[in-house]
Amino acid sequence: MLLEATNVAKVFGAFHAVAGADLAVEQGEIIGLIGPNGAGKSTFFNCLAGETTPTTGRILFDGKDVTYALPEVRARAGIGRTFQVPTAFEDMSVINNVMVGAFLRHPHRNDARDQARRIVELTGLRADQQARSLGTPGRKRLEIARVLATEPRLLLLDESLAGLTPTELRDAIALVRRIHDMGVTIVIVEHIMEVIMTLTKRVLVFNQGRVISSGTPEEVVRDDAVIEAYLGRAHRKRKEESR
Amino acid sequence: MSEYLTSRTAVCFLGAALLVYPLVFSGAFYLDIGVTFLLAAISASAWNIVGGYAGQVSVGHSMFFGVGAYTPLVVYTLWGWPPIAGIPLGIALSIGLAIVIGMPTFRLTGHYFSMATIAVAELIRIFFGTWDMVGAAIGLQGPAVARSFWDLTFRSELPYYYIFLGVLAILLATTAALERRRFGFYLRAIKASERAARSLGVPVRQTKMQALVLSAIFTSVAGSLYVIKTGFIDPDSAFGILISVQMVIVAALGGAGTLFGPLVGALILIPLQTATNSAFGGGGTGLTYILYGGIIVVIARFEPGGLFELWQRVAPYLRKRAHAA
Repeated sequence: MLLEATNVAKVFGAFHAVAGADLAVEQGEIIGLIGPNGAGKSTFFNCLAGETTPTTGRILFDGKDVTYALPEVRARAGIGRTFQVPTAFEDMSVINNVMVGAFLRHPHRNDARDQARRIVELTGLRADQQARSLGTPGRKRLEIARVLATEPRLLLLDESLAGLTPTELRDAIALVRRIHDMGVTIVIVEHIMEVIMTLTKRVLVFNQGRVISSGTPEEVVRDDAVIEAYLGRAHRKRKEESR
Repeated sequence: MSEYLTSRTAVCFLGAALLVYPLVFSGAFYLDIGVTFLLAAISASAWNIVGGYAGQVSVGHSMFFGVGAYTPLVVYTLWGWPPIAGIPLGIALSIGLAIVIGMPTFRLTGHYFSMATIAVAELIRIFFGTWDMVGAAIGLQGPAVARSFWDLTFRSELPYYYIFLGVLAILLATTAALERRRFGFYLRAIKASERAARSLGVPVRQTKMQALVLSAIFTSVAGSLYVIKTGFIDPDSAFGILISVQMVIVAALGGAGTLFGPLVGALILIPLQTATNSAFGGGGTGLTYILYGGIIVVIARFEPGGLFELWQRVAPYLRKRAHAA
């Protein structure tokens, strides 16, 4: 098991953002986390990435306890993540942005530059472009390129494909596939069902801080609990009546 | 590549100009401006490492300047050593101070960090004003007449000019070397987004601390050089807030977080400041504050990146026009 989160809970005051969630990820999997807004998937994701520490529960990465490890420690251990709102280093060029990530495993400048070049090519970016002149698709790509340069074993993607046009989306899905083919295990938070259906083999559905359903994407979209969570009880009843 | 060459030519030209300046303008007035300019350039370039590159805007760097300024005269007064023997002591104390101050203040970000650094510098200033061993409010005096060469007490400012120029060259060479390495990349990443830097495995707190220590070392040396030249120090001229503010303004004017920004800033600000001071005489001391205030407003409103960014925007147009002509 590459990543094992058991009974993870995060409480803000009296609000249980995550109320005991489990996730076990095998090496080589692509897992989707979905759920309506405010379901707790982002908070759970941040617990995995080290952005926040869970109130209770335990997170093991490759057998080691990382529950309270800082984000930079997790990055070194091999957990990479992207941000929902891209956080490019605006004043730097694309290649320099990616080099920041590459320096993690390649302390010497020339090695880091070579590594960054490979990644930039793989992600289809232009090395000498200034980060600030990139549009949304470019920024999302740069976000992925930068974290790829750290050579993660587990990649956590936080809505990295949101806000793209259909063509851009197709390219982005192909890129995620390519990354997966390189042997990177992927956990992906996403609203777009097309992404989840085409990329993932296994999906966890969050609602009100709990995992209400899990299985293949096909199983999950047929699950009544999931339909209720997204569309409300009335819709489910109507569906039953029409049967 | 051609751009790289032109910038190299510019650097060589600037270096040559600084080398011959005192030979061309040998009058005491111009020499004094030159020395003041170099000192401002050294201080601001030292500040630039943590304040510019890493974006941790300290407005309390006078704490390191002051420690560096006091130690040469402390070792002279207490033990009769030549003042330059106080430089390593100043460096050591500044490193210690940087670590002690950095640990709590780096938990703060943005304005809160700046305010905390101001508070610490002011506390130290007030403390030195009551500490008898360092002359309390009256301060300390250096050797009036050189006892040996090592007192570095010269009649002319010319030797100081070249010593300062040498230190500035070492500082800029160090910064240039770090800029290209992992450390430099990490500093810029931290400035842009601490959160993103962390997620890429940048040890943020450790990197900031290293930047502060390095910055403190050179700021301390600037303070030592200042006092070796003037031979006198008191709490205000060592730890005064204007000293910290000057470093910030000089760097921001030229372009904080760029190699030559602070130097360019000093090149503009110091002659301007000297001109206003000499034009209005003793009654113009408050004018420095007004000048600084005006510059802050103009930079913040119109050109937050300083002259460097303005130049980057304007240069392509100029080049195009030069081609067309």
